[in-house]
Amino acid sequence: MNEREEPRLSAREMVERLEPSLGIGRRVRAVAALVAGVAGALFVVALWWSEPGPLPGRTQVAFGMFTAFCLVWACYGGWLVRRRVPLFATDRVIAAWIGLAASAATTVLAVVAAVQRGAAVPWPVLAVGGLFVAAALALVVRAHGRRAALLRRLRELGGERER
Amino acid sequence: MTDEVLVVRAQLGERAALAELVARWRVPVWTYVRRMLDAERADDVSQEIWLAVVRGLPRLREPGRFAPWLFTIARRSVTDRLRGQYAREPETLTAGEATAEDPVEAMVDRAGLISALARLPLLEREVLVLHYLEDLSVEDCAQVCQVPAGTVKSRLSRARRLLRAHLEEGDRS
Repeated sequence: MNEREEPRLSAREMVERLEPSLGIGRRVRAVAALVAGVAGALFVVALWWSEPGPLPGRTQVAFGMFTAFCLVWACYGGWLVRRRVPLFATDRVIAAWIGLAASAATTVLAVVAAVQRGAAVPWPVLAVGGLFVAAALALVVRAHGRRAALLRRLRELGGERER
Repeated sequence: MTDEVLVVRAQLGERAALAELVARWRVPVWTYVRRMLDAERADDVSQEIWLAVVRGLPRLREPGRFAPWLFTIARRSVTDRLRGQYAREPETLTAGEATAEDPVEAMVDRAGLISALARLPLLEREVLVLHYLEDLSVEDCAQVCQVPAGTVKSRLSRARRLLRAHLEEGDRS
């Protein structure tokens, strides 16, 4: 048995090996998959629901597949964010704002699409969109709260960053 | 700078603080893993541990308890590698057995301990490493090993007894 009593990797090499998990690209991809998946699913469902006339079977299947595809991406993004890619406090604030912007934009687009298709006031679209915007807003508040708590704790510990 | 400050800074997203944590805890983590596994696996498992630490760090709610949290992750990785062997380790003492103050305590210096450690059963070896080599308190060891503090004390007691036997055996030979 090798009796080596020192780690083979230096601290710098260890940090380099952790880079793939820490890289900005991976975090952006994870958040983008989550946001695009949710927004896409919401938009496709809004289009599907607001179709004025009865749809042929194939079109129904196509809408269903689009929705499922978007939901798969949303689940994948959620899994990445939750399990694989560390989102630190500042990253979470940025991600939450991206989520809020995407929710608001998707809701507006879905409402516009529904109105163009003849719905006077598309209440279901507004309700679902409002729900997503509210959830995204809650995430923004939570992310800011968490970051503020960490900054507060840092000040208490006297470890404020030099500015 | 304390670990807690570094953890909070790392949780905010400061890469330098994370690098400093790695630099500070790389050898203790590796040492713990090395005492439980061979040197080759120790490198791989250490890397796994740091990956899990990086992924879990944003969710660590008590930055002041970084060390026990870190060793809990380390233990999980080691257990994964030793699965089966760990499960077969007999629990020979009852939880809560008193820790007798023992003259062997004085003999537990690092060099002697390290050479005799490999011959101890896993569970006893583990608490010795955590308590004596990593300087974790009995309560922290209990948290890491997910057993009551009394069980840690009884394992320490048995470990010291076994260690004394091994050291005396070594002296005779």
